[in-house]
Amino acid sequence: MCFKNLPVEFDAGGKPFLRNGVGDPYATATATPPEGPRQLTSENIQELLKRNGHIKSLDFDPVTRVAGALAFHTVADFENRKVLEARSVATLFRGYEVIMVGRDPRDAIYITSRACGVCGGVHSVCSALATEMAIGCCPPPMGVLIRNLALALEFLYDHPLHLHLLAGPDYSQVIVEPTNPSLYERAKVTEAHHTAIHGYRTIADLMTDLNPLTGRLYVEALHMTRVAREAYVLICGKYPHPQTIVPGGMSSTINLTVMNEMFVRLSQFFDYSKKLALIWDDITDFFYDANPEYKKVGARRANMIDTGIFDHPDAYDATYESANDWGNRRWATPGAIVEGKLVTTDLKTINIGLEEFVEHSFYEEWTGDGQQQHFATDPSGNPLSPYHPWNKVTRPRPQGTNWKEKYTWDTTPRWDRQSMEAGAYARLWNTAVARKMPESPFMESTGHSLKMRVPAGALPETELEWHVPEVWNAFERNRARAYCQAFTTLIAFEQWRAAMDRLKDGDSRTSTKFEIPKRGTQQGVGFWGAGRGYLTHHLTLDRGAVANYQIVTPSSWNASPTDRWGQPGPYEEAVLNTPLLEETNDPAKFRGLDVLRAIRSFDPCMPCTTHIQSEGGLITREVNTCACGLDD
Amino acid sequence: MRVIVGGVAYPDLCDYSIGMEVQERLSGRQAPANVVVEDLSYNPIAVIQRLEDEPPDDRFERAVFVSAVKRGDRPAGTVSCFRWDGILPSDDEVQRAITEAVTGIIRLDNTLVIARYFRALPNEVVVVEVEPETHEFGAALSPAVAAQVDRVCDLVWSFATDDSAVAALPVGSLALATAPAFRFG
Repeated sequence: MCFKNLPVEFDAGGKPFLRNGVGDPYATATATPPEGPRQLTSENIQELLKRNGHIKSLDFDPVTRVAGALAFHTVADFENRKVLEARSVATLFRGYEVIMVGRDPRDAIYITSRACGVCGGVHSVCSALATEMAIGCCPPPMGVLIRNLALALEFLYDHPLHLHLLAGPDYSQVIVEPTNPSLYERAKVTEAHHTAIHGYRTIADLMTDLNPLTGRLYVEALHMTRVAREAYVLICGKYPHPQTIVPGGMSSTINLTVMNEMFVRLSQFFDYSKKLALIWDDITDFFYDANPEYKKVGARRANMIDTGIFDHPDAYDATYESANDWGNRRWATPGAIVEGKLVTTDLKTINIGLEEFVEHSFYEEWTGDGQQQHFATDPSGNPLSPYHPWNKVTRPRPQGTNWKEKYTWDTTPRWDRQSMEAGAYARLWNTAVARKMPESPFMESTGHSLKMRVPAGALPETELEWHVPEVWNAFERNRARAYCQAFTTLIAFEQWRAAMDRLKDGDSRTSTKFEIPKRGTQQGVGFWGAGRGYLTHHLTLDRGAVANYQIVTPSSWNASPTDRWGQPGPYEEAVLNTPLLEETNDPAKFRGLDVLRAIRSFDPCMPCTTHIQSEGGLITREVNTCACGLDD
Repeated sequence: MRVIVGGVAYPDLCDYSIGMEVQERLSGRQAPANVVVEDLSYNPIAVIQRLEDEPPDDRFERAVFVSAVKRGDRPAGTVSCFRWDGILPSDDEVQRAITEAVTGIIRLDNTLVIARYFRALPNEVVVVEVEPETHEFGAALSPAVAAQVDRVCDLVWSFATDDSAVAALPVGSLALATAPAFRFG
């Protein structure tokens, strides 16, 4: 029994069914999400702003050092050092779902890749997976391994980029010294614990090298993105939009030369991964020791969702029917975590618990008015909500711009009607707790931690251990992401080793022939992951063309607005829980650093396009939604 | 003098693809041994790394960039050529450019600012801008821009091969993009 809000139960064989006697099982009035921070009413806010000089609006527009277009509105109480209202605004429309309708599904691999300028490959692969499921085509083992390897390389590009170019500066000398001078003084006399690995004697030394533009860690991260990119293009042809992803595998040529070139680059991440993990251990420990209030920055319930990633070549068969089996054999285990507890690792259960709402988003509802639900069940006969992506219709309509009505282009994905967050950390957490990952000489899932034995480079072989944290906050998100660099490096190394074994046996076949069926209706879903976590593409084909295409990205979850039950989205909840710890009493000098730390710790990526499709099927104009005049 | 000619553009984005169109046409011409024509329509950080890969004692001494640049105060199809003054914006703006670069934005000003900041550019940088009209998905250039393609190709070629043509150019500034102007009420 893993659903608390949806009326779905499981029989003795584990098959889900709708609870008997529920008239309208997916009525939105039936959910009772848990207690948590809530937004104040607009009347409360107006009253507070009028009566109290220390309560002010604080807007971040745009939020800098994030990918894409995000604005954030807060009302903060500077006397009591807390945030009273937090609203996350995705300011650009992303219309890939609309663009895809009517096209050949193979186009999706190339078109949806453009949803992101950092990790296009994850969309390409997710799209290929959805198509494989719909058309019944499975890659050969080498195709699975090389696809895993490609995507691991993409994450090796992505994690350092976030840690040291986007989030890292929030912990740098040029930011910390002026905003928290006493903290920086303390950093100057605090010795780092892991000097032997990362080379920094004090925390202040480390902070100095996190400085943007000039810090050595900043510049080194730029360099490491090149190393990952070079390895990636060996098998994908091009970065960030790969040219070799196809349904049924990859069109890359794999030989010893390619594999050796790959290893030269991959092995550079052995030492870099050790450094990254232990740098973020030291940063986190320093802030906690200096002021335990930092544990509240970005804090929220540990509610997470992830579809897992990196298939086992002996398990993956591209069918929905077997999705629980092959999902549970992935290198990164799928899972839904509620209040810190892993409640399922089954992909089909994750899938049927997914719903997407548009109460506060610039879209029209697609349910109601007697409209026929496309699919009452998934392909295995399990119950499906009318709000599920397979039933969703994307109808953009910017209207009613205010906090009560609609204020963002993001939708509101919920699992079991709960606000979940996505991230590399969810991948790590699920895998650590589930104890289902394949056997490896380099990694061990202990049930409460993940042990990683990172091979020697210039540094000696090092054992890292990521522990499920006691609190969930901005620091733990960054720390987990840093450990994920080592996790990803080792997964890439495992794929490389397995691919080499196959190559030695004369197996270099990376793809399977396929045909797009020209008759009937087929469904598929890509369960995959971006560097930033959860990714699904839900696809419906009708007579060989795309009839519906729905993408849910990690930032769809994280940036989602407050839902119809009053639950804030993850960014919003994390900011509502964040204390304002800057050492100033002057609101004019206040930079909102801790609010920004909270938001950036999610690694926001607002997949954006400004193009929409007209009725004539052509992309004709730009759309963005100015947040001007948003009223409370 | 070694010269690199680079187009900076997005494919299939109508007028915003002109940098690529010009680069492709020039790639078909017989270039002198000292001139390299390349598509530089990718992550500016990778462009820097590409430029840094040249032998230290034989780096490019001139770069000619061609791209669509929306200034908005001139008719569509207007072609502007200048030697870039090389003046960098504030460090915050450089950071913003890098953030955009690593997260997938390809734009001439970002490429030039970041490459200059990290000292990867030659001293002499020639910019050939074309004012775009249409910003849509598609392969076709607007008539105003399409009418300029041959001329732009010839101009770029002259700046790549004729020192006197470059010397005659005025010095100019980049059209720096500003942060999106969404504002709460």
